[in-house]
Amino acid sequence: MMVRKVIEVKNLVKRYGDILALSGVSFEVYRGETFALVGPNGAGKTTTVEILECLRIPTSGEARVLGMDVTEQAEEIKRRIGVLPQEFSTFERLTVEENVSLIAKIYNREDNVRRILETFGLWDVRKRMFGSLSGGMKRRVGVAMALVSEPEIVFLDEPTTGLDPQARQDLWQVIRELRRKATTVFLTTHYMEEVEALADRASLILSGRILVTDSVSKLISRYGGGFRINTRGRKAAQLLRKLGGEVVSQNGEVTAVFKSQGEALEALLILRKSGIEARMIEPSMNEVFLNLAGGRINERGEMVP
Amino acid sequence: MKTLFLAGALLKAWLRSRTGVFFSFLFPVILLLVFGSVFGGGAQAYNIWVQNLDLENGQPSELSSSFVRALENSGVFSVREVPPSAEIHSWVRKNLPPFTSYRVIVIPENFGRRAIGRGIQVRTGVILSTLDLVVRNYGEFLTENDLSAIENGRLALENWRKMLPPENASILLLTQEGDQAAPIVRSAVAGVVQAFNNLLVGAEPAVQVEQVSFSERSLKPADYYMPGYIAAFIMTNGVIGVSSTVSEFRRSGILKRMAATPLSKRSWILANLIVQVVLALALMTVMLLLGRLIFGTAGIPNVYFVLLILLGALVFCTIGITIGCLLRDAEAATAAGNLIAFPMMFLSGAFWPVDIMPELLQTVARFIPLYYFHQGLRELLVSGEPGRAAGAFVVLGVLACIFILLSIRLTKWKEI
Repeated sequence: MMVRKVIEVKNLVKRYGDILALSGVSFEVYRGETFALVGPNGAGKTTTVEILECLRIPTSGEARVLGMDVTEQAEEIKRRIGVLPQEFSTFERLTVEENVSLIAKIYNREDNVRRILETFGLWDVRKRMFGSLSGGMKRRVGVAMALVSEPEIVFLDEPTTGLDPQARQDLWQVIRELRRKATTVFLTTHYMEEVEALADRASLILSGRILVTDSVSKLISRYGGGFRINTRGRKAAQLLRKLGGEVVSQNGEVTAVFKSQGEALEALLILRKSGIEARMIEPSMNEVFLNLAGGRINERGEMVP
Repeated sequence: MKTLFLAGALLKAWLRSRTGVFFSFLFPVILLLVFGSVFGGGAQAYNIWVQNLDLENGQPSELSSSFVRALENSGVFSVREVPPSAEIHSWVRKNLPPFTSYRVIVIPENFGRRAIGRGIQVRTGVILSTLDLVVRNYGEFLTENDLSAIENGRLALENWRKMLPPENASILLLTQEGDQAAPIVRSAVAGVVQAFNNLLVGAEPAVQVEQVSFSERSLKPADYYMPGYIAAFIMTNGVIGVSSTVSEFRRSGILKRMAATPLSKRSWILANLIVQVVLALALMTVMLLLGRLIFGTAGIPNVYFVLLILLGALVFCTIGITIGCLLRDAEAATAAGNLIAFPMMFLSGAFWPVDIMPELLQTVARFIPLYYFHQGLRELLVSGEPGRAAGAFVVLGVLACIFILLSIRLTKWKEI
C-alpha cells in the first residue's frame, strides 16, 4: 500500500482577536493510520481540527486535507470526511435512526444506514429518541453519523471526554475497528491512555505549539523515561547499579531506570530471588507528556504541575 | 430533495416538542376560542339600568313603560330595572360592583303626562302655523265666513294651548366618568328619544337608514379579528420561536454538526424557512376552520391571502433568524424576541381596530410590519381583491428581501 499524506499542516496560525490560539502548527497524517492530537484544554486541539474540517478559517499557514486546501475546496473536503464534533449533540427529539438517516441523506448514502446501525450496535435502539440515550450511546450515535458516509478520514474531537470507563472502553473498541478497516482516524484527546490504546502516531500540543510528533512507540521509548524499578534498601541499590541501571536513592527509597524492558525484567527477577520486594513501572505517555510539557493533565483536561 | 428531507426532519423534531407546539399552535387556538367567545357575540349589548319614577297608582305609566320597551327593542341595550323607591346615587354605590360599566336612565315623575301635554302643544303649534300658512297663501280664495271661522278656531286653540305645561318632558342619563361606551350609549338613547318624539307629534318618518354591508357575504365579527390573530401568531412564531430555536441550534452543536456536512448554508436556511411556512399554513387552516365551525365566519381565503401568509411567514421567520444570529444566548434571544413581538402585537392593532387607539399610537402602528400584515390579510379575507392589499405586499416584500439577505449574511457556517 502506498503511504500517502492525507493531511498536511504547515505553519498554521489562528488568531481570535488578541488571542493566539495556534502559533505555527505543523504535522502530517498518513493514510490508514490513527493519529492523535494530544494536549490539555485550550491548547488548540479543537481549533486545529475545526480548521481541517473547514469550519474555521486559518489566519495564516497552510492546511491540506486529501490534497485539497481547506480554504479553497471546503465543500469537496466535507464530502469526503466524517466528523464527530466536540461535545457532540444532535436533534434530541429525533430517533437514532432518523438522526443517522438525516446525515446519510445529505451524503446520498441512505443505503448505508442499516449497516452502520448494526455495526455500531445501535440497531436495537434505533427507534429511541436521541435525547433519551446515555452519554456513551449518544457518542456512539455521533460516531455512526460521522461514518455513515464511509469517509476517507474521520475526525473525532475528544470522542470519550465525559464518558464513564465502560463507555470509554466500548468506544475504543469501535475506533479500533476503524483502523482495521483502513479508515484514517484523526482524534483529539487529553487522555494519555487513549493515545496508547488507539493511536499509531501522535502530536503533543501545548499553548498552540506542537511539542513533538512521532509514532507512539517511539515517543514512549524516547521520552517515556525508561523502565523504572521501585524498591527499598542499600543492598537493592547496589544490585541494581551492578545490573546497569541508573540508580537514584533517597531516604532508603530506590528508583532504577533501565533502557529496555528486557534489562528491567531481568533485574526484577534477580531482586525477587534475593528476597527483595520490587515493582516495575513501564514508561507511558503520561511520562512522555510530563517530560516534554513539564506537567500532567488531570481528568478534566486541565494542565496541572 | 435534501432540503425537503431536512425540513421534514426539523418539522418532526418540532412536532415532538410539547412546549413548542403549545406556544406556536395550541396557545393561538386557545386564545382564539377565549377571545372569540368574549367578543364574538356580534354587536355588543350595553348594560343599562332604568329607574322609572313615572307611576300611576303605583304602576308605571303607559307612556313611560312604552319608552322602556322602545329601549329594549332598540337591540343596543340590555335593560335592567332599578326600584322606584331607591335613591339613585346610593343605590348605584350599593348594588353595582365597582369597575363595571353601567349607565342609568331615570324617568322622572309626570314624564308621561308632560310628554303627552308637550306633544299636544307641539301638534297645536303645528296646526296654528298651518292655519297661518293657509290664510296667508290661500286667503283670497276663502269666503269671509270661512276666514272668521278659522280666526275663531285659532284664538280658541291658542288660549287652550297656554294652559298646557310649557316645559319639555326629560329623562336623565347617568354615565360613569371614563366610560368609553358613553357616547355610543348617549346617541343610541337619543335615537330612541327621537323616534318617541316623532310618535308623540304624529310625524311620519321622512328619512330612514338602511344598513348594507360592503361585502356580499355576511361577515361576522370573527371575520374581522381572525386575520389579526393569524398574523399575530405567525409573527410570534417567527420572532420569538425561530430566534430561540436558531440560537438553541448553535448552543446544542446541531448547527456545527450540519455545517460539517456538505450541506450548504442556503439549504439549511431554506429548510428552516420551509418549516415556518408549513407551520404558518397549518395555523391559518386551523384558525379559519375553527372560526368557521365555532363562530360562523364567512371569509374564504383566496390565493392572494395564502400568498400574503407565505410572505408574512418569510418576513417574521427571517427576522427571527436575524435575532437568533445576533444574540448568542438562547435566553437572550427569547427575551429580545418577546421585547420585539409583544409591543408589535399590541401597537399594531392586531387584536382590536386601530381606529379606537389614540391618534399618536395609530401613527406608531403604521411603522409596524405586523400592521400591514394583518390589515392586508383582513382586506383580502373581506374583499378578496388583491389590489386592496397592495400596500401590504409591497411592505412585506421589501422586508422579506432585507431580512432574507440579513439571515444569509448573519448565519454562520464557519467560525461557529
